[in-house]
Amino acid sequence: MTLALATELPRGELLWQFLTAHYDFVLWCALGSVLVGLCAGLLGTFLVLRRMSLIGDTMSHATLPGIVIAFMIVQDKLLIPLLIGALIAGVLAAVAFGFIVRNSRTRPDAALGLVLTAFFGLGIVLLSYVQNHESGNQSGLNDFLFGNAIAIRPAEVALLAVLACICIAAVTIFFRPFLLLSFDASYARSIGFNTSAAHYGLMVLTSLVIVASIQSVGVVLVVAMLITPASTAYLLTHRLKTMLVLSGLFGMLSGYLGALISYLYAGFSSGPTMVLVASFFFLLAAAFSPRQGWVVRAVRQRRRGLERREALVLALLPTLSPPTLEALADAMGEPVQRTRRLLQGLERRGVLRVGEDGRIAVLESTTSHARAQARAST
Amino acid sequence: MYAWWYYNFVEPWIYGEWMMRAVSISIFVSVACALLGCWLYLRRLSMFADALAHIVVPGIAVGFMVTGSRDSAPMLLGAIAAGVLAAFLIGFITRRTRVKEDASIGVVYTALFALGVILLSVVARKVHLDADCVLFGNVLGVPDGALWLMAGVCVAVMVATVLFYKQLLVSSFDPAFAAAIGLPVATIHYLLMSVLSVTAVASFEAVGAILVVALLIAPAATAHLLTDRMVPMLLLAAAQGLISAVFGIYVAVWFDTNPAGSMVLVSCGLYVVALFLSPRHGILARHLARAARRKRHIAATQG
Repeated sequence: MTLALATELPRGELLWQFLTAHYDFVLWCALGSVLVGLCAGLLGTFLVLRRMSLIGDTMSHATLPGIVIAFMIVQDKLLIPLLIGALIAGVLAAVAFGFIVRNSRTRPDAALGLVLTAFFGLGIVLLSYVQNHESGNQSGLNDFLFGNAIAIRPAEVALLAVLACICIAAVTIFFRPFLLLSFDASYARSIGFNTSAAHYGLMVLTSLVIVASIQSVGVVLVVAMLITPASTAYLLTHRLKTMLVLSGLFGMLSGYLGALISYLYAGFSSGPTMVLVASFFFLLAAAFSPRQGWVVRAVRQRRRGLERREALVLALLPTLSPPTLEALADAMGEPVQRTRRLLQGLERRGVLRVGEDGRIAVLESTTSHARAQARAST
Repeated sequence: MYAWWYYNFVEPWIYGEWMMRAVSISIFVSVACALLGCWLYLRRLSMFADALAHIVVPGIAVGFMVTGSRDSAPMLLGAIAAGVLAAFLIGFITRRTRVKEDASIGVVYTALFALGVILLSVVARKVHLDADCVLFGNVLGVPDGALWLMAGVCVAVMVATVLFYKQLLVSSFDPAFAAAIGLPVATIHYLLMSVLSVTAVASFEAVGAILVVALLIAPAATAHLLTDRMVPMLLLAAAQGLISAVFGIYVAVWFDTNPAGSMVLVSCGLYVVALFLSPRHGILARHLARAARRKRHIAATQG
C-alpha cells in the first residue's frame, strides 16, 4: 500500500481521511489520543484540587532518563521496556523529593525544581550521548519529548484502554475517599479513612497515566493534559462528579482535535497541538463561564451600572425644575452626551419622553412600582 | 602522574580558544543565575523560574519571526514581553477565577510553551533555527555577541545585587513590612521577573531554556544548606556556579557529553554532597547530633 505523502495531499482530503479513519494507523492514533485525554483529565482533576500540579510537572519531566536508559539496555524502541523505565524513574523522583523534604531544610518548591531539572538534565545528557554514539534505531527518541500521536501502535492503544478502564473504575469505586482526601484530608483521617493509602494510590495511577501518555503528548507537555482540562472543568462547576465528567470530556476532545491538527499539518508534533486545543478551551471557559467568566462578569457589571444610572434618572427627575437634559446631566455629574444616550435608551423603552422644548416627562405608563424602586435604590 | 593531570586539565585549553569561550560564557551564566537564584529561592519562586524558562521560548520565536534576524536584541525584547505577559496572565487567572496559583502557572506556561514550539517549527522550515539549540543550548558554538551580552548581564546582576541589597533583602524576607515602610514591593517583583527573563534569554545560547532552571535553583539550595546568613549565601552560591561551570565543561570534554547537561549534573552533585555532609544542616550532621543528644539524655536519666 503506497501512501501519498501527507504534505502532497490537499488539507480537505487529509481531514476526510482522519475523520473516517481511512487508514488503520489513523484509527489507532485517534483512539489513543482520546484515551490519553480521558485518563489524564480524570486524574488531573485530583492534582488540580489538591494543588499538586507542579508535582505532576516534576514526575513527567523525571521520566526522561528512565526512557533513555531503558533504550540503552534494550537497544530498540520497544514499548514495554521504555514504559517500565519511565515508571521507575518517576517513582525514584517521587522518592527523592520526599527524602529531600523530610530530611533537610530545603524548601519544597526548590526541592521539586531540583529533582525535576536533575533528572531531566541527566536524561538530556544520556539522550545526547545516545544520539552521538549509538547507531540506528534511536531516531524516534525525540518523539518522546514532544509526542508523536501518529506513531501509536495497536498494542499501546490496548494498554491505554486497560488503563482507562482502571482509572474509571478506581474513580467510581473510591469516589468517597478521593473526595474527602481532596477537600478535607484531616477530617477524612479523623473518621478512619486511610488517607496515605488513597494518596499513594492516586500517585501510582497518575504516574501510570503520565507514562502511558508520553508517546502521544511527550514528556515536556504531559502535565498540560493533566492540568488544563481539569482547570477548565474547575471553572465550570462546583461539584466533583461533574468536574470529573467535564474534565474527561475536555481531555478527550483536546486529544482528538490535537491529533487531527497534527495530522493535517505534518510539521507539528502532536503534544503542542493537543495542549493548544486544551488551552483554547480553558480560555473560552475563563471568559464565558456562567458564574466566573470575566466576559460574563464584565457584561453583568455594565448592566448593573446601567440599571443604577436609570434608577438615578427616575429618582432625580421629580427634584429638578426645569427637568431638562442639561440639568439632569449636571445633577448626575456626567457629561451631557452620556446622559443623552441613557435617556435615548429609556425613551425607546417607553419609560419617559423628551419634549421639543427639552423638558423630560416621565410617562404615566411607567409604573409607580418602578418609580418607588428607583427612589428606594438611590 | 604528571602526564595524567596535564592531559586532562591543561591540554583542553591549548587546542584553540573554544575552551576559553565555552568556560567563560558558562561562568557568566552560572554566576548570574546563582545570584538571581538566591533571591528567587527566598521568595519561593523556584517553580515559577521553571515556568518562566519555558515561557520565554515563544517570545524568542516571535522576536525571530518579526525581525527575521538571529540577533540577540529582538529575541531579548520578545522574551521580556513574553515574560511580562505570562506574569500578568498568571496573576489575572489567580485573582479573577477559582483556579489556584499552581494550576494557573501550569496552564499558562504550557500553553505558551506549546505555542512557542509550534511557531519554531513553522519558522524552522524557512530558516535554519534549530529547536534543539533553543532547548538545550550549544555552549561550544556561541557567537561573540552573545558572549559579551552574557558578560554584561552577569556584571549587571552583580551590581544590582550590591546596590539594591537592602531592598531585596527586606522585600524577600518580609514583604508586609517592606510595604509598610514604603518599599515598592510590586515594582521590585516585576523588576526581578524582568531581570530573570533577560538572564534566561541571554543564557539560552549557552545552556538552553530547560537547564537554566537548575543553575538558578541548585546553587541557592546548596548555599542554604551551608549557611544561615545572606551574604555568605550569595558568595557560596556564586562560588558553586563557578565550580560547576568549569567542572561541567571538563566533564563534557572527558566524556563527550552535552556540556549544559554536564554542568547541571555537577551542580546537582554538589547539592547532594551538601545535603549529606553540610556541617550544620546536612543529614550526617543531624544524625550525629541526634545520636549525641540521645547519649546525653540516657546519661542524664541514668546518672
